[in-house]
Amino acid sequence: MTMIEAVPLSWVLALAAILFCIGLFGVLVRRSLIGILFGVELMLNAVNINLIAFWRYLEPNLVAGQVFALFIITIAAAEAAVGLAMVIAVYRTRRTIVADDMRNLQG
Amino acid sequence: MNLALDHAWLIPALPALASLLIHLAPPRAERWAGPLAVGAGTLAALLALLAALAVAGGATAAGSFRWAPAADGVIELGYRIDGLAAALIAMVAPVAAVIQLFAIGYMAHDPRRARFFGFTTLFTAAMLTAVIADHLLLLFIAWEVMGLCSYLLIGFWYERDGTGSRPAPRDAAIKAFLVTRVGDVLFLLGIALLWHETGSLHIGTAAGQLFAPETLARLAATPTPLGVSAATLAAALLFSGTIGKSAQFPLHIWLPDAMAGPTPVSALIHAATMVAAGVFLVARTYPIFVVSAMLPWVAAIGALTAVGAALVALVQTDLKRILAFSTISQLGFMVAALGIGAWGAAIFHLITHACFKALLFLGAGAIIHAMEQAVGHDGPTQDIQAMGGLRRHMPLTFATYLVGAAALAGVPPLAGFWSKDEIVAHALTHGAWGVAIALLAASLLTAAYLTRQIWLVFFGSFRGGATVPHDATGAMRAPLVLLALAAALVGGINLPWQHGLSDLIGAEAGAFHPGIAALATLVALAGAGLGWVLRGVAADADLAQPGARGVLALLAQGYRLDALYRHSFGAAVDVAMDLRRWIDRAIIGRAIALVGATTTLVGRLSAGADDILLQGGAELAGRGIDELGGEVRRSATGRIQDSLALVAVGVVLFAVAAVTLLRP
Repeated sequence: MTMIEAVPLSWVLALAAILFCIGLFGVLVRRSLIGILFGVELMLNAVNINLIAFWRYLEPNLVAGQVFALFIITIAAAEAAVGLAMVIAVYRTRRTIVADDMRNLQG
Repeated sequence: MNLALDHAWLIPALPALASLLIHLAPPRAERWAGPLAVGAGTLAALLALLAALAVAGGATAAGSFRWAPAADGVIELGYRIDGLAAALIAMVAPVAAVIQLFAIGYMAHDPRRARFFGFTTLFTAAMLTAVIADHLLLLFIAWEVMGLCSYLLIGFWYERDGTGSRPAPRDAAIKAFLVTRVGDVLFLLGIALLWHETGSLHIGTAAGQLFAPETLARLAATPTPLGVSAATLAAALLFSGTIGKSAQFPLHIWLPDAMAGPTPVSALIHAATMVAAGVFLVARTYPIFVVSAMLPWVAAIGALTAVGAALVALVQTDLKRILAFSTISQLGFMVAALGIGAWGAAIFHLITHACFKALLFLGAGAIIHAMEQAVGHDGPTQDIQAMGGLRRHMPLTFATYLVGAAALAGVPPLAGFWSKDEIVAHALTHGAWGVAIALLAASLLTAAYLTRQIWLVFFGSFRGGATVPHDATGAMRAPLVLLALAAALVGGINLPWQHGLSDLIGAEAGAFHPGIAALATLVALAGAGLGWVLRGVAADADLAQPGARGVLALLAQGYRLDALYRHSFGAAVDVAMDLRRWIDRAIIGRAIALVGATTTLVGRLSAGADDILLQGGAELAGRGIDELGGEVRRSATGRIQDSLALVAVGVVLFAVAAVTLLRP
C-alpha cells in the first residue's frame, strides 16, 4: 500500500493549513523580530507542502511542482538572510528587537 | 516661348509689390516712393507692351492657382492674356506709369506723398489684375480693390473742407464709394446667378467654361421668374456694375465729385483704371450680352449718357468738372458702341480716350498747379472764368492741351477721329439711327465745350490777378509731351487700312466711309463754332444753388439728379433711420431693460441658493471628511503586527469573496 493510497490529499492539505496558521499566528503575536521571521519560515514551508502534495497526487509527471518548491526553498533562504541582516541593523540603531517599540509609521 | 508672356503675372505683381514696399517703408524713405512707383510701373509697362506684341504674333499665356474648395472640386483663379487683355494692359500700364511720373512733380510738396503712391500703385495693380483675370470672381476682387483705392484717393485730402459748389473730399469719397456700391452689389448678384445657372465662372469658350456655346445656349433658354431669360437677367446685372463703375446714367453722379481728389488721381480714374473697368467688363462678358436682350438697353443708356453729360459739360465753370462730364460722355460713346455691336470700336475708343483724357487731366493738373502759385491755394484755382491768356504764359501746356482736345473732339488725323468715326460709321451702316444721331449730337457738343473751355482758359488776357501762372518744370513736362504724342498717334493701331487692334482682339474690322468721316469732321467744326458762340455762357455759383430755375440751372446742377436722389433715396433712408431709432428706443430698449431686470432677479436667487445650499453643503462635507479622517487615523498605529493582521484579514476576505463569487 503506497502512501498515496494510505493518506488522502485532503489530510496533507489540512496539515499544510494548520502549519500555515501556526506560522501566521507566530508572525502576528511574537514580540521578537526573530520570532516573526520564524513564523514566516513556517508559512513558506506550509506552501511548500501544498505544492509538493499537488504535484505528487495530481500531476506526478510534471516536474514543475518540484521546481516551484525548490524555488521557494531558495527564496526562503535568501529571505532569512536578508531578514536577519535587517534585524541586526535595527538592533544596532535602536538597541532593541521588540516589534512593538517600532512605531515610526503611526498616523 | 516669349519671356514677357511667360512672366505675365509680373505685370500686375510689380505695382502690387511696389505698393507693399511703399506702405511698409519707414517715413524717412518717403522721397523714394515716387521713383519706386514709376520704376515698377515702367517695368510693368515694358512687360505689357512686349506681351501684347507677342500676343499679336499669335501666342497666348495662362496660369492659375488653387484658391478655395467648392462643391465639386476646387475654384481655380488665374490669368489669361488673350487679345483683349493684351490690348488693355498695353494701354493701362504705360498710361498709369506716365501719370505717376507726372505725380512726382505734382505731389512733390505733399506731406503724405508716400501714401499717395502706395494707393496709385495698388490701383494700377488692381486694374491690371481685373484685365488679365480668367475668372469672374478674380475680376470682381480686383474690381472691389479698385473701388477701395478710388475711395482712398478721392478722399486723399480728407482734412480739407468743401467750398461753394465743390464738395469736401471726404464727402466725395464716400459718395463715390456708395454710388458705385449700388452697381457692385448687382454685379455680384449677376456673378452668383451665373454660378448658379452654369456652374462655372471661367472666362473662356472651352467646354464647361462660361462662354462655351452650349452654356450660352442654356443660359439663353433658361427662363427666370422675372419673365426674361437667365442670360438677359445676368447681362442686366453685370451691366449694372458697369453703370456704377463707368459712371453711366443714372449712377454717374459720383464722377464729377470725384474731382475732389488730386488731379493725377483724376487722370488715373478717368483714363487708365476704374471707369475703363466698366466698359471692359461688358467687352469681357460680351458673349452673354449677345445672347441676351440687353444690347438695345446698353445702347440706349450709352447714347443718353453721351448726349446728357456733354450738355452739362457745356455750362460748367470748373476746369476739372468739364473734363469729368466729358469723360462720362465719352464713356457713353463706348457703351453705346458696345450696345450696337461695335465692340472692337468700343475698345479702340477706350484706348484712345485713355491717352487723350489722361493728357487733358495732366494738362489741367499743370494749370491748377500753376494757378495755385498765381492766386494762392484758397483762390479760384479751378475756375475757368478766373483764367485766360494762358496761351502765352504756359506755351507747353497750351500746345499739349490743344492736341488732347483736338483728339477728343475728333479732328483728323488724331486718335479720337479714328475711334469715334468707327463707332459712328458702325451705327450708321447698321441702321442704328437713334444712336447715330445721339452720338453725332454728342460729338457736336464735345467740340463745343472744348472750344469754350480752351477759349476761356488760354485766350484773352489773364483775369485772375496780377501774378500770372507759368509752365511747370521738371517731372511734369515729360508726361505731357509723351501723352500728347500718344494722343496724336495711337489712332495708328487701328487705321481703316490696317486693323492691328481689331485683329488682336478678334473683332470685326470697322468699316470706313469717307462720307461719314467728312460728316463727323463737319459736325466737329460746327461744334467748335457753337462753342465759340457759347463761350460767354457760364453756370456761375448762383445757378449751381438748389433754388435756381431755368435750363442753365438745370444743366449746371447736372439735371438735379443729386437733389432727386437726396429727396428720394436720401429721404427714404432718413425715414428708415427714424423708424429704426424708434424701434431702438421703444422695443429694443425696453426688451434690454426687461432682460436686465430678469437677470438681476435670477442673480439674487442664485446668490441666496448659493449661501444656503452650496456653502452649507460644502461646509458639512468638509467637516464630515475631517471627522472620518480622525477615525481612520486611529487604525494607523504604526505597529508592524497590526498592519500584518489587517493584511491577513484582507487576504482571507478576498479569498472568501473569490471562492463565493467565482464558483461556477
